[in-house]
Amino acid sequence: MILTVASILLAVGGVSVSIYFVIKDHKAKVVLVKKEQDISRRMYELAILKELGDRIGYSLDVQQIIDIIINSLHQFIDYSAVSYMLLGPEKLIFKMHLERSVHQRFVNDIRDRMLGSLSALLDREFNKKDVKEIISGAIIIEELNDPVRSFFNIPLVIDEKVVGVLTVADTKSGLYKEEEMTILYKIIQQASKAVTSLQGVVKTEQAKVNAMVESMADGVVMTDVDYRIMVLNPSARAIIGLPRKESVTIFDFIDNLEGKFDIRGRLEESVKLNKPFKSEEVLIRDKFYKIFVFPVNTERTNEANEKEVVGGVVIFHDVTAEKSIEQIREQFTSMIVHELRTPLSGINKISELLRDGQQKIEKKDFDEYIRLINADSTGMLELVNDILDIAKLEAGKFEVKKEPTDVKKVVDNRLEFFRPSANDVKLNLEVVYDAELPSFVAIDQAGIKQVLNNLISNALKFTKANGSVQILVVHHKAGMKINEEFARLPAKTVVPFPEEKFINMPESIVVAVADTGSGINASEIKDLFNKFKQLDNKSETGVKGTGLGLAIVKGIVEAHNGSVGVVSEIGVGSLFFFVIPLQ
Amino acid sequence: MKKILVIDDDETFQKAISTKLELLTYQVVLASDGEEGLSKAVTEKPDLILLDIKMPKLDGLAFLKKLRANEGGLKIPVIITSNLSSIDKISEGVSLGIKGYILKSNETLDTITKEIAAALNT
Repeated sequence: MILTVASILLAVGGVSVSIYFVIKDHKAKVVLVKKEQDISRRMYELAILKELGDRIGYSLDVQQIIDIIINSLHQFIDYSAVSYMLLGPEKLIFKMHLERSVHQRFVNDIRDRMLGSLSALLDREFNKKDVKEIISGAIIIEELNDPVRSFFNIPLVIDEKVVGVLTVADTKSGLYKEEEMTILYKIIQQASKAVTSLQGVVKTEQAKVNAMVESMADGVVMTDVDYRIMVLNPSARAIIGLPRKESVTIFDFIDNLEGKFDIRGRLEESVKLNKPFKSEEVLIRDKFYKIFVFPVNTERTNEANEKEVVGGVVIFHDVTAEKSIEQIREQFTSMIVHELRTPLSGINKISELLRDGQQKIEKKDFDEYIRLINADSTGMLELVNDILDIAKLEAGKFEVKKEPTDVKKVVDNRLEFFRPSANDVKLNLEVVYDAELPSFVAIDQAGIKQVLNNLISNALKFTKANGSVQILVVHHKAGMKINEEFARLPAKTVVPFPEEKFINMPESIVVAVADTGSGINASEIKDLFNKFKQLDNKSETGVKGTGLGLAIVKGIVEAHNGSVGVVSEIGVGSLFFFVIPLQ
Repeated sequence: MKKILVIDDDETFQKAISTKLELLTYQVVLASDGEEGLSKAVTEKPDLILLDIKMPKLDGLAFLKKLRANEGGLKIPVIITSNLSSIDKISEGVSLGIKGYILKSNETLDTITKEIAAALNT
C-alpha cells in the first residue's frame, strides 16, 4: 500500500518533473521562436531597407517604392490583402494586392475605409469616382463571404506631407499586434526619410539648375516626351509674350509663334530621332532668334545600350543685336558708296559738258564748272582720307610719332587756318589758355592737328552766324575738380564739364572746343563717336560732313592713351573735349 | 516747251543736268530738297520730274508719296535719278509709280536726257 502510494507519489513526481521539463522546454521554445522572429524581422527590415536604398538611387517614384515594400511584406505579416492609396496627379491610385481570394465587398470595404482615413488625414473630401483601382494577386470569389476582421492603416508621409495611406487587412480577427504595426511603421518611416532626403538633394540640384535657367537671357523650354512643359524660364515667356500666364502649355507656344517656328514638329523630330536641330534666323515679335532643339537623355542606357530620351529642350537665342550690327555695317558701306559716287559722277557730268560744248560755254558757266569740280574733288579727297584714316586706326596701323611740342603753337596754327572761314560765316573764333601750361607736351603733331581740324570745323559748321567758337586749354592736376580749373580761365563755357569723367584722371592737358550751336539730342550723343553713325541734321551752313570725323578724333586721341567726350544742351551749345595724359 | 523739275541736293548735278536740258531747249526748274520740290511741283506744274532719293528735309520716296496723295488723278511722270543702287529703294519707287530709275554715276548726261525724251513721248 505504502509502496503503491510511494510509487504513485513517485509517478506523480515523475509526471510533475516531466511536466516541469515540458514547461521549461516550452518556455525556452517560446523565447527561441521569439528570437527567431525578431531576427527574421530585423533581417526583413534590413533587406527591405537595402533594396529601398538600391532602388531609390534611381527612382523617386513613391509608388514604385511602396510596391517594393508590399511585394515582400507577407514574409513577416499575415494578411489577406495589402493595399495603398496614393494622391496621383489626376486621380487617387488605389492598388490592392490579394494574398488570398476574397469577396468583392471586402475590397470595397477596404477602399472605403482608406478613402475615409485619407479624407481625415488631408481634411479633404474624396469621392469613389476619384479612385483608379488596380487589383493584383489572388482572384475575387463571390461565394466567399468573410468580412474585414483585422485591419490597420499607416499614413505615407514624404517631406512632412501626407501623400497616401498603406493598409493591411485580413478576414481573420485579432491578428495585428502593436509590435507588427510598429515595425511596418518604422519601415515606412525609413523609406519616407530616404525619399525625403533624396528629394531634398534633387530639389537643391533643381533649384541650382532653375536659378541658372531663370537668369539666362536665352529663352529655355524643356518638355517631356508628351510635350508637357517641365521647365520654362522668364525669357522664354517674354519671347512668346506670356510673361504672367500661370500655366503655359505647348499650345501657347504653337499659338504665339504664329507658324513662324514649328516647335511641336521640331521637338517630335528631335525626341524620336534623338537628334539636335538648329534653325535659321526666325523673326518673333520684332526680334531675331536662332532656335536650337535638343533631345534630353537619361544617364542610364537601355537594353540596346542606347540612352533613353526623356524629353526635349528648346533654346531661343536672340541674335537681334548681331543682326543690327550687320545692318549698320551694310548701311555704312552703302552710305560711303553713295558719298563717293555723288561727287565723282558730278565731276564726270561736268567733264561731259566741257567735252561736248566747247564753243558754246560762257565764261560765267566755265567758272561755275571749275568751282564745282574743285568743291567735289575736295570733298571726295576728304572722304577718301577719312576712310583711309579709319582703316588705319582700325587695323592698329595708325602710328603716333610723339615729339615734345608746344601745344600753344599747334592750337594757334589751327586758329589762323580757320580764322578766314569763321569770318566768312560771321563767327567769333577765339582761344583761351590756362596761365600755367607745360612748355612741352609729347604728342603726334600731325595727329593732334587733325583732331583740332575736325572739332573746329564741326563747331563752325553747326553754329549760326554771330555765335562763337572757343578753344579752351587747361592743365589738369590729379584730384582737382575740372570745372573749378576751368573757372580760373578768363572765359566761361556754356555747358559745364561732366565732373565724373575726371575722377581719377591723372595730370593731363584738356583741350575743349565750345560752341554756341544748336546742341545735340541726348539720344544721339552716345553714338556720336561711332564711325557707323552719321547724324542726319544738316549743318547750319548746309555743309555736309563724312560722319567719320569724330570717329577719327577718338581714334587718334586714344592712340595717345587719352580720352574724348562731349556735353551738350539743345539751343545752348556743345562742348567737345579731349584729354592727353602727361606722363 | 516742256518743263522739267529737277529735285536734287547735289549742286553739281543740278548745274550739269540743267545746262544739258536747256541746250536741248527744255525749261528747267530746280529744287534742292523734297519740301521745295513739293511746292514747286504744285506751282510750276512740270511735265516731268527728275527726283533724287537721298535729300535733306524730305527724301525722294517720301516726296513721291506726298506728291501722289496731293495730285489726285493727275500723275506727273517721275524719273528717279540717284546714286543709291539699293534694290529696296528701287522697288519702293516702282510701287509708287515711276517712269524709270537712273543710277546717275552709270549714265552720261546724254543717256539721261534720252530717257527723259522717251518718257515724255509716251
